[in-house]
This record gives sequence, C-alpha cells and structure tokens, in this order.
Amino acid sequence: MLHEDVVCPFCACLCDDLKVETDNGTIVKVDNACDLGNHKFLTDDDHRLKEPIRRTPSGWTSATLQHAIDRTVEILLGADRPLLYGWSGTHGEAQSIGVHMAEVLGGVIDSTTSVCHGPSILAIQEVGHPGCTLGQVKNRADLVVYWGANPIEAHPRHMSRYTTYTDGFFLDRAFKERKVIVVDIRRTQTAEVADEFILIKKGGDYAVLSALRAIVRGKSDMIPATVAGVTKEQLLRIAEMCKKAKFGAFFFGMGITQTQGKYKNIRNAIELVDELNRHTKFTLTPMRGHYNVYGFNEVCTWMTGYPYAVDFCRGMAFYNPGETSAVDILARKECDACLVVASDPAAHFPKDAVRHLGEIPTVQIDPYPNTTTAFCELQIPVAVTGIDAQGTSYRMDGVPIRVKSILNRGYPTDTDILGEIYRRIKEAKRV
Amino acid sequence: MVRVILDVKPRKNPFLPVEAECLVPKNFVDEREPRDLSVWVGNKERRLEEVVTLTREGTATSPEDVELVLRGDTSRFKRVGEYMEAGRITIEGDIGMHCGNLMKGGMIVIHGNADSWLAREMVGGTVRCNGDAHHYCASGYRGEKRGMRGGEVEVMGNAGDFTAEYLTGGSVTIHGNSGDLTGVEMAGGTLIVHGDCSRVCANMTGGTGYVYGMVHHMIPTFRFRETAIIGPEKVKMSVFEGDIANRGKGTLFIKVYKYPL
Ligand code: SF4
Repeated sequence: MLHEDVVCPFCACLCDDLKVETDNGTIVKVDNACDLGNHKFLTDDDHRLKEPIRRTPSGWTSATLQHAIDRTVEILLGADRPLLYGWSGTHGEAQSIGVHMAEVLGGVIDSTTSVCHGPSILAIQEVGHPGCTLGQVKNRADLVVYWGANPIEAHPRHMSRYTTYTDGFFLDRAFKERKVIVVDIRRTQTAEVADEFILIKKGGDYAVLSALRAIVRGKSDMIPATVAGVTKEQLLRIAEMCKKAKFGAFFFGMGITQTQGKYKNIRNAIELVDELNRHTKFTLTPMRGHYNVYGFNEVCTWMTGYPYAVDFCRGMAFYNPGETSAVDILARKECDACLVVASDPAAHFPKDAVRHLGEIPTVQIDPYPNTTTAFCELQIPVAVTGIDAQGTSYRMDGVPIRVKSILNRGYPTDTDILGEIYRRIKEAKRV
Repeated sequence: MVRVILDVKPRKNPFLPVEAECLVPKNFVDEREPRDLSVWVGNKERRLEEVVTLTREGTATSPEDVELVLRGDTSRFKRVGEYMEAGRITIEGDIGMHCGNLMKGGMIVIHGNADSWLAREMVGGTVRCNGDAHHYCASGYRGEKRGMRGGEVEVMGNAGDFTAEYLTGGSVTIHGNSGDLTGVEMAGGTLIVHGDCSRVCANMTGGTGYVYGMVHHMIPTFRFRETAIIGPEKVKMSVFEGDIANRGKGTLFIKVYKYPL
C-alpha cells in the first residue's frame, strides 16, 4: 500500500512529502527522505524491543505490561522528587500527559531541550525572537547564514527544501541569487557549499558576534585586526553582505548553543539580527534536532508558563534551568526516581548524571533498547510516532504538523501507557 | 539579642533539596513562632523541627536583634535569607542555592562555600562569603532585565560564571578569580574583581568594573579611553568604555587583558 504525504519523524525539518510503501505490515520502500529518514523507516522493525523487560539479580527478564505499569506507578508515588525526562521523540498529546503527571506527582519535568536549544530559549526570554516560518525563508531569503550548524549532515533536506537548492516565489533565479554564509570551527560539508566561510576559533562566537554588531552600527574603529581567528576585513565584508541582503535568514545550531557562554551567544546573535533589521529584513531560527523537541516547549509553555525544566515539587511551577534541568538534578543527586520517555539520556549526559540514573529506580518508556536501558530497572516498549502512532509535532520554526501512523505493529502508544499510569496516580492521590 | 542555633539533623537522603525561605530573622523574634514554620524537602512539606534542632539563647523584640546560626550540612538548604530585611544569619558551613535572594537588609555571613545564585536580585544589606561562590553570584533571574540593585556582596574566594550578571546597583567584590562572562549585561553599580576573569562586562550598558588581575578573551567592542592610576596602591590601569556593540556607556578599568585573537 502506498502512503503519500507521510511526515518523517526524525529531525525537526519534519519533511511532510515522503512516500512510503508498506506490504503486509512491513515498510518496503521510502521515497523523498534523506539517508537519516530512510534509515528510520526501513530499519525500524529490526531494533524494536518486543515486550516490557525488567532487571532481576540474574539479568533481564520479560515482564507483563500490567506488572510494568504497577511498578512504574509504585516508583513514582514513592518518590520525594521524581524526575520525568525526555519527551522530544514523542507526540504532543503524550507530552501533555507527562506535564499533568509531573504536577500531580510533585516532580520535575524536563526535555532534551535543556541539552540542545535550551540556551536559545533563555536568550529569547531575554531579548525576544525575530523569527519566521521556513516558508518565508524559502520564498524570500537571498542570504542564508548557518552558524554552528551543519545541515548537510544533521538536517540533510534543510537546504533542498527551504534554502540553497530550492526555488523561491520572490526570487528570480533562487539557486544563483541566494548567498550562503557558513560560520564554524571546522570546515564542515556545509562549509563546502558556502559563498563565504568564516573559520572561527573554538569559543570565539561571542566575540565575533559582538564585533559584527559594532560594525553594523558603523563603529569599527576599536575592533582589533583579528577576532577569534577572523580577520577584520572578512568581518567588514560579512557585515556588508548582510546589510545588502533583501531578506536574510540566520540559522544556528548546537555549535553555538552548547559552547562556552551558551545563551549569551544566542542573545548576541539575536541582537545582531535586531541591529540588521535597522538596515534590511533579517530573521533567526534555531536548527532544532529531535523532530518534536519544539513541541515539548509549546506544550509545556501552554500548561505551565515555562518551556522546559519545570519543578512542581511545591505544587506550583518553578523554572530555573541550571537548577531544575535534568543534568543538574541528576549530577547533584537531587532526584530519587526517574521516568525517561522517548529519549536516551545515558548516551548524552555527563558521567555523574548517568551514574545517578543507575543508582535510583529508573523506568524507560521507549520503542528501542538504547544506552539508557543499561541504567534502568524497567523498560516498556511503545509504538513509534510517525510509523505506528500518530500525533502532533512542531517543526523547528514552530509550525504544528500532524504526524501520521502508517501501519499497526501491535504496540500501545505513549499516550496509552502514560494515560494509564497517570490515571492510576490520580486514583492513588484522589485527584 | 537572641541567638537561634539551628543544628541540621541527619537526613536519610542528604542530597534532596530543602527549600527553607522561612529561615529569616523576623520569623524568630517571638519564641513561639518557629513552631508554625515549615520547609519543603523534595515534594513533602515538613515542620522545621523535623529537619533541624532549635536552640534559643536570649530574647528579642525586633528582627534586628536576631541572629540565626546554621550548623551542620546546609549545602542543600535553598533560599535561606530570602527577602530578609534585618538581623543576621551566620552559616557555619556551605549553603545551598539562592541564599539571600531578593534580600533587603541585614547581614548574611557564610563561612563555607555558597552554591549558585547567591544574593540573586538583592536590593539591600550585606552578604559576605568566606569561601567560594558558585555561578550566578549576585545576578538576575531568568528573563529578568535587572539583577542586583543595591547592597554589598563580598566573596573572599573565587566566584563562578555569570557573576554579577545584570548588575544594576550596589557593589560586588570578588577577592579571588571570577568566571566567564562576569558582569555580563551590567547596567549599573560597581564590580571589583581582584583576581582574573574572562569576557568581563560583555554587553554592558552602564556601571563601573575593575579587574586587578588578568582579563582573558577581552570583548573586542570596548573602546580604549586612557590609562589611569587607581587607588592607594597606585595601580596602572587601562580605561575602556562600552560595550559599543550595545550602545553601552559603562566604564571598565583593567590591569592586564588579552583579546581572543
Ligand atoms: S531532513 Fe530530517 S525530517 Fe527530512 S527526511 Fe531527513 S531526517 Fe527526515
């Protein structure tokens, strides 16, 4: 059977033009996806965990779904400060149950945002977000800047769907007219297609952004001959290119959000875009990673007023990344139970944080065994959103897209499992 | 005068945060009042006496006459001295996050180290930390446009990153080294760092900063104004104005600096 307009649930480009062919419950062909998307669809069934598993002194053993849910409820209700972490690899409906659950439990809820574009959000909270949709970029941008981002490898269709290689309604010869500036600490594949590549010294983003802001303001006298490895001539040239553009689009990745200075780098980038808007039209968009990491921020903000790292221990929402974010809580041993949903913290968190994950009762709800499995007491497999579960996702520019289910592999969805756990918790707490 | 000694009882899980904003002198003027005080240990509200043993020495008629002495492992006690207006708190060991948040008056002395957000958004009074202060000492809160607005913060050891972020008034003195982006977004007040720091006063719009050590990764958008001889020790310092990138009108005195070339 051929499924058209399928949405790829891998990266936050959320490409919605895939054609997927299924035969007898198996995916046999995928069209239009990049290598990452193809791999996700075509090898999905090879890696699934078939049934709930629990750790025993003699190793892993299978568990019934009933037992797995009972034990999860018991762990969460028994905790003085449970942490509910992950959420970026599932749909909005499941995320919203997670937020409700954190509130009723008096726990802390955080998503992978805190280790990817959390700093972008902190910066946006300080100085706002001059953003736009990717459709605007596609149709209008004649200058695209990728800063600390390598879309050719991380978001492979970004350039062909929204920037360099696509037509634009307001551009005559988009491919020729669009200029690309790439800023990075190494010559990436994306740098190879840039009209101007700025090779910056590690940790030098902030200084270069400050220098560009001053130049755009017409104050360049105090700028030294080189700033973080970039010559003053190149900085002047870049500033001129940006000012002359009719519509500039600035995309930034984790190469700038997770380097020293973190959110202050992004704030500086936003303020550069703000300065450029005195000369022309310029916008800024984070290159979000997980396909629905933005969704968690949306859901969490509607429900709590804060986008991630929300602490409900005192019954009301308190937000302070650095204190209420998952890495900090785990590394400081400040939680006594953890529920991991749709992410793999053990593969990405620092050693101290991961060690604590193994010291407290940890349950994972995820379709696949992963590094975090090794630190869990229990894992419950679920359907994969975009393959055998449907729901709402948010693209990197904040556009909501309905992700489809294309077959049924017999797994419960995140919404089913979390809904049941939440029901049981409410029952026990009489709310 | 009354001296109230709060001795922390051993805890089953000593890592769980204890939210203890009730620990301010005004709550201990009346001998009977502490019975109604509570703290949050994780998601459980507990009576203060379940967490500490209280001993009172003397009597008091106003918060000015009260000294709280915190003894034992208080490294996870958060918000001690929050909104404090008068009196004194002495912390014999380390203290957890947000000590002296939004403090208006009185004095807090910490003999050990202070965790992050010490004296966050402080308005008045004095905080002295004899050890090190972690990140965001004397800073603002997420998304706020103003940090510390008045009072004095003195750290005898080192301070972490984002120290005095959004400093708007009052003075912050770090006797050791300070971290990255010290004084970032500073809009007023005085910042003094006796040791080294990096990217000091980035994006500042006002106020005065002094660095008697080395500034690493000097922000390239400060304009050199002159050389000046400062203080009784007659230290020769370079005087900058900026941050020009932010239309800033701050003044920065630096002994030695290095650009990120
Ligand atoms: S670019 Fe991202 S969303 Fe598009 S097909 Fe590739 S992995 Fe999927």
